Amino acid sequence: MKKSLLALALLGAVFAATAPSAALAKDVEILNVSYDPTRELYKEFNAEFAKHWKEKTGDNVTIKQSHGGAGKQARAVIDGLQADVVTLALAYDIDAISEKAKLFPKDWQARLPNNSSPYTSTIVLLVRKGNPKNIKDWDDLVKPGVSVITPNPKTSGGARWNYLAAYAYALKQNNNDDTKAREFVSKIYKNVPVLDSGARGSTTTFVERGIGDVFISWENEAFLAQKELGVGKFEIVVPSVSILAEPPVTVVDKNAKKHGTEAVSKAYLEYLYSDVGQDLAGKHYYRPTNPKYVEKYASQFPKVNLIKIDDVFGGWQKAQKTHFSDGGVFDQIYQK
Amino acid sequence: MQFKYTKFASALLATGLLSLPFAANANDSSELEQLRALVQELDQKVKILARQGEINEDAAKAEKKKQPVVKANSGGFGIESGDGAHSFKLRGTLQADNRAYFGDDNPSLKNDNVLRRVRPRFQGTLYNIFDFDINTDFAPNTTTVQDAYINARFQPWFQVQAGKFKSPFSLERLQSGNWIRFAERSYVADSISPNRDVGIQIHGDVLDKKLNYKVGIFNGIGDGGSGAQGGDTNTGKEFAARVFAEPFKGSDSALAGLGIGLAGTWGDDSGDPVTDRYRTPGLQTFFQYNTATLTDGDKVRWSPQAYYYYGPFGVLAEYARSSTDVKRGTRSATLDNDAWQIAASWVLTGEDNGFGGITPKSNYTPNKEGWGAFEVAARYHQLEIDKDAFTGTGAQRFAGTANTTTNFGQNITDKASTWTLGLNWYLNKNVKIATSYDHTSFDSAIAGIKDREDEKALFTRFQVAY
Repeated sequence: MKKSLLALALLGAVFAATAPSAALAKDVEILNVSYDPTRELYKEFNAEFAKHWKEKTGDNVTIKQSHGGAGKQARAVIDGLQADVVTLALAYDIDAISEKAKLFPKDWQARLPNNSSPYTSTIVLLVRKGNPKNIKDWDDLVKPGVSVITPNPKTSGGARWNYLAAYAYALKQNNNDDTKAREFVSKIYKNVPVLDSGARGSTTTFVERGIGDVFISWENEAFLAQKELGVGKFEIVVPSVSILAEPPVTVVDKNAKKHGTEAVSKAYLEYLYSDVGQDLAGKHYYRPTNPKYVEKYASQFPKVNLIKIDDVFGGWQKAQKTHFSDGGVFDQIYQK
Repeated sequence: MQFKYTKFASALLATGLLSLPFAANANDSSELEQLRALVQELDQKVKILARQGEINEDAAKAEKKKQPVVKANSGGFGIESGDGAHSFKLRGTLQADNRAYFGDDNPSLKNDNVLRRVRPRFQGTLYNIFDFDINTDFAPNTTTVQDAYINARFQPWFQVQAGKFKSPFSLERLQSGNWIRFAERSYVADSISPNRDVGIQIHGDVLDKKLNYKVGIFNGIGDGGSGAQGGDTNTGKEFAARVFAEPFKGSDSALAGLGIGLAGTWGDDSGDPVTDRYRTPGLQTFFQYNTATLTDGDKVRWSPQAYYYYGPFGVLAEYARSSTDVKRGTRSATLDNDAWQIAASWVLTGEDNGFGGITPKSNYTPNKEGWGAFEVAARYHQLEIDKDAFTGTGAQRFAGTANTTTNFGQNITDKASTWTLGLNWYLNKNVKIATSYDHTSFDSAIAGIKDREDEKALFTRFQVAY
């Protein structure tokens, strides 16, 4: 009898501890797999959330970050990187995680406000001080002798936004003539001397290595370069047309459940919509979605004619298949 | 890479400038503009080349991380996935012994050359959580599975291990056979302690790895025995628990190398033969219970234990008691058998001593400087068997009915005392030549039967372990 009780107790302990419950754990760790230019935003946001979580629950939360080209990051999660949350550059990459790894439901975008995009951004042109090549709009990028910096759309989410923004401009200029739009984008990429795998790599190429005349950039990355990385060395050129970029976020349900971090992961993403999260987004040059902070940071962001991907390209799934899949338009136009 | 490109850029620019025929005559603004444009163009090209080099280097590094890594070093030979989550490792131990016995008149004690351990070992990790270990021994005439277990590292403080492995009891038994300081272990580890058994244990490190705990359920085995991988040989089960603290670990204190622990086992079994067997350091069994003696309830062992290492000095001490409820016919008793040992060693060449072995400062290399490490060691250990095991008539005794006509027969000794001297030469971390001399004296438990003759054994070992 005594033995049976001891055996039961021991087995009970085994199962209790192997279950993902973190009831006893006061130290929690989550991994946020993000895209390239969000380093500064999440560094500050994570510290604020850790304070908030400590006050709310008493637990210590440590948020680990992983950054890289959004496409590469999504692939890493599909291949087993144990992300608790993903905060990527575009919905397609998060869709891919859902479809291929089945780590969370297909309707993930409906789980948080604004299609799960707590902030938005757009694509602008960053040029060197004095704009020596006189870049004013997308059509200046195809001119001979203009060196254009943009990352690789096969690995970078930002690069896909760049590509589509230029493509949308070309369609508009050519009465939706797809052939002419392809030629236009092809000419741009002929002027690209170096393809980095992520947006931060391209920032390094343009800002630190001094390569190129114009950098097709996330708006927030352009502000960062202009105001913090190279004060007085760069100018932002707002093109006549750009694209509304909606970087979305979601909890990676199965990983979070396995790690016992569902509650903290959900709260982490919800906190991006809080006053603190929205204010930090604006501070780091992302466009807040909360009207209060849209107004607060209104003067910071230039007025841009923003087109939506759904309106011009029929959504991310279609755009990805047509332009960025193997053998797609980008592969056809880009000659190494 | 950056440096090379920079030098290349300088050379390219210099060459370009000097070779331009109009450079020297560039005395109008148009030519200066052309020159400036050309320099800028060349500058951009060089920068692009340099950046492309960086990108290629980063890509190569990233790709390298995905590739499996083959490892071959003193810790074994293996392969590891690029992310380090999966690995396999081939290890092994080979011990070739010479055994010499002096001054005995026991015809069963012959000088011999034997293979003590021949153990190829296959270890691995899956998903960075699940470890496995398969350790077979080809030295016995029948190949034995020494260890075969999986260990799931859910947390550093909570790990679950299942299979066949060392029962968490004796300190010296838990020390690797590659690193024991004498050819054979003491009475505590070799005679009183259970060896390997099949079961499941929960274990882990807590308090900043200063406290290790283990608690498990095993099939249950007699003193000095190993469990059969094929299944239990008795009806009861055995619980084992051990805590071991190193309170000053990692500090600068002189006590950083101090470890103190307590271990215990408890089992309940009735009606099975008592399989305890006690051996001398010369590996001669000098005590076993009568085959008519059966288990009759509890078997409890406990053992306080400690070690201390400071610089080249090390000492290890432990005590163990095994209390067994036995019966023979209508007689029953609880027999308390005890053993203790204290062993000290000194690394003459100044290397740090340690429970996990010694790494020579310089390896032995023929015809060059470097002799490896030398260590001397001494030990005293003793085993005492409950005198009640030998009381009563020959037909009633729990033990002591074997050949009583000679003085080398088994089961007449209630106390064995041994002093040991050892000399170890570590040629490098993997190769050792070790020799131990053990002198054992015995006390007869049965009136009229003289003491078993002293055993004087010199064991010399050549060992390769990786």
